[in-house]
Amino acid sequence: MKNLKRSLCLALCLILALACIPAMADGNVKIGVLVSDATSSEALAFRAYYTEYIAKAYGVEFIYSDELTDAAGEKSAIDNFIVNNCKAVISFSSFDRPAQIDQCDAAGIYNAVATGTLTDEQYDEYKDYEYYVGAIGPSMDIEFQAGYDMAAYYIDQGMTKFGMFGGGVPYYVDMHIYRAAGMLTAMVEKGGEGANYKGADNAGAIIGQIYADGGIDTGAIGNLELAAYVGGYDFNDAWFGKLSQMVGTEGIQAILTVGSGVDVLGGFISGSGVKLATVDSFTPAMQEAMDNGILDYMAGKFAASIGPIFAATLNAVNGQPIRDSEGNALALGQGYWVATSSEQFAQYCAVDSSMTDPAYTKEILDQYASSEVSYDDFVDFVSQYSFDEIVSLKK
Amino acid sequence: MKKTRLLKNLMLSLLIPCAVLLVLEAMALGKGLRLFANADSWKLFFRAVANVTLTTFALSINLDSGRFDFSLGAVSMLSATVAGTLAQQWNVGPWPMLAIAVAVAALLGLLHGGVYVLTRIPPIIVSLGMALFYEGCAFAFTGGKGVSLVTRLDIIGFSTIGHYILLTAVAVALIVLLFDYTRFGANYRALLSGQKIAVETGIHEIGNALGCYAVSGALMGVVGFISLANTGSQQMALNFGSIGVMFTAFLPMFIGGWIGRYINKRVGIMLGATSMALISLAFARFNTASSVQSIVSALLLVLFLIYLNNEFAILSRFRKKQDAK
Repeated sequence: MKNLKRSLCLALCLILALACIPAMADGNVKIGVLVSDATSSEALAFRAYYTEYIAKAYGVEFIYSDELTDAAGEKSAIDNFIVNNCKAVISFSSFDRPAQIDQCDAAGIYNAVATGTLTDEQYDEYKDYEYYVGAIGPSMDIEFQAGYDMAAYYIDQGMTKFGMFGGGVPYYVDMHIYRAAGMLTAMVEKGGEGANYKGADNAGAIIGQIYADGGIDTGAIGNLELAAYVGGYDFNDAWFGKLSQMVGTEGIQAILTVGSGVDVLGGFISGSGVKLATVDSFTPAMQEAMDNGILDYMAGKFAASIGPIFAATLNAVNGQPIRDSEGNALALGQGYWVATSSEQFAQYCAVDSSMTDPAYTKEILDQYASSEVSYDDFVDFVSQYSFDEIVSLKK
Repeated sequence: MKKTRLLKNLMLSLLIPCAVLLVLEAMALGKGLRLFANADSWKLFFRAVANVTLTTFALSINLDSGRFDFSLGAVSMLSATVAGTLAQQWNVGPWPMLAIAVAVAALLGLLHGGVYVLTRIPPIIVSLGMALFYEGCAFAFTGGKGVSLVTRLDIIGFSTIGHYILLTAVAVALIVLLFDYTRFGANYRALLSGQKIAVETGIHEIGNALGCYAVSGALMGVVGFISLANTGSQQMALNFGSIGVMFTAFLPMFIGGWIGRYINKRVGIMLGATSMALISLAFARFNTASSVQSIVSALLLVLFLIYLNNEFAILSRFRKKQDAK
């Protein structure tokens, strides 16, 4: 019996030792990725770029969190990354960014914000933290501009009657509020003399009004009209009824959506003659919608747009974080690609969905994931995010 | 005498839907609107009747037997995902797609029932596990991308009032037939009223439970199909994101139970669903915020349950007042 126990203990130790060997031999850098959205086409495209291209090209291992729903989930996921010996965390989740940065800093692992930015107050507090890499993504100004450009595109064509899908506006999703505010601002600016939205006639006042209301009111804006509005993601019969009513509103010419336009309105738009504009990603399903006239205008984050934040994170992990002349972390804006025709969309989609030659290839990123890169070079690189600029980078 | 009783039962059966319609029409008039303003309003109404009726049947079949089922939404999502993907790959129209959705959903229901009868774990726990499992399967099946059929005009074109009425009528007829006029239904009712005695008389409770799960699944397959054909897309849900569907069925189920005193219970459920469909239509027509919708729905449910639990006392007091006069 005693011998049996000894043998069992010995076998157990042997198994443990053997289990440790691959872990010790595995020199891959591990990076944790926090996600609060695991199912949207945009989130899937980002994930595919990291796991199917970057991971292979750089020999790094990405460990993804579950689909997070709150700040407690973020904390627990970071704990898990720390236990798994991750050297950095790239965060797509924004329930409590300050807590994420604090937790990573305390654990001595790097933290980077992808496809988003910190608020000015948060940046001032965390910009000199040793383990805070920075943020690269559409700033709220860029979100605002995306909405503005979308509305302006149709107003400039002479359209006057619009519908709007506000997505996360009732839940106070900042980027959706800023996109919606951009659309309303374009209507106010191009709606003729005295045009205003509930008395607000400038961007700041419109943003404030939306935050105060938690929604958007319909009505005339000068000589333009916001004839219908639906917000939220209720996915119940009443909500689908509202969407259907919006498409059927008499005289409506275009529906501007802050996101997910094809997914929520595609079925109703078919054959209605109403133009649909949205913010989404360059997927084959969207391409099909554009080819068939269901989608008319799309502003999209390209999948490889998260390449630069990876390069910056890798630099930090390798001991050469990119900092400005005062030692502050990155805070860089990055905008959208806009497609208004099938041909343009196909061109973008081909580059964006490629896992062998994506927008930001290893060859491009290598120039910036290196110890020699300066802050200014990196800023210059990130600022060239338009399709044409990226194509020229490839040459 | 019999005619008077029939008429009274019919009037009491229609009391709730008619009262709801009158109240909502009055509210609409007050707002300067019409509840049924155009074809879209009718379409929304009949779609809601179909969705809520079928979901309530699916829920009540098992819940009446004490088997709580959180996986209804996940079954609907997974069956629609499989059917939509296959419809796209095989380029088949809406009817074959509906058949695929029903078959897949029935199988999923059967699998759920199988896990329950094999493991004997409490149904509420099994249903939570199956909900997560089916959500994961749907995600894996499409790589998380979901299904997009927005360009399939034949499938989107299925969303017509006629089709909604047809699906609802067929479902109600089949459910009435199955549960009220077959041996399976008789066994089901016997098991409801006393499982021990029913089993001792030779009824196979396992076979009956499996059958209930399969029928419940098949009904959710139709719901999934209606939803996918309506919007043209099926998005994925993880971490119990799909369980909200079942909560739409509670109030019509209780209303249906009350109406069921005066008319066939399944027809009562359909009338309960009709009342809820009217409320959904009103929410859409009045452009009611989702938070207000949730509050109103919850209040209606609580008030109705309070009434049901205190019905005897309320009616006694009412009668005493009448006698005093």
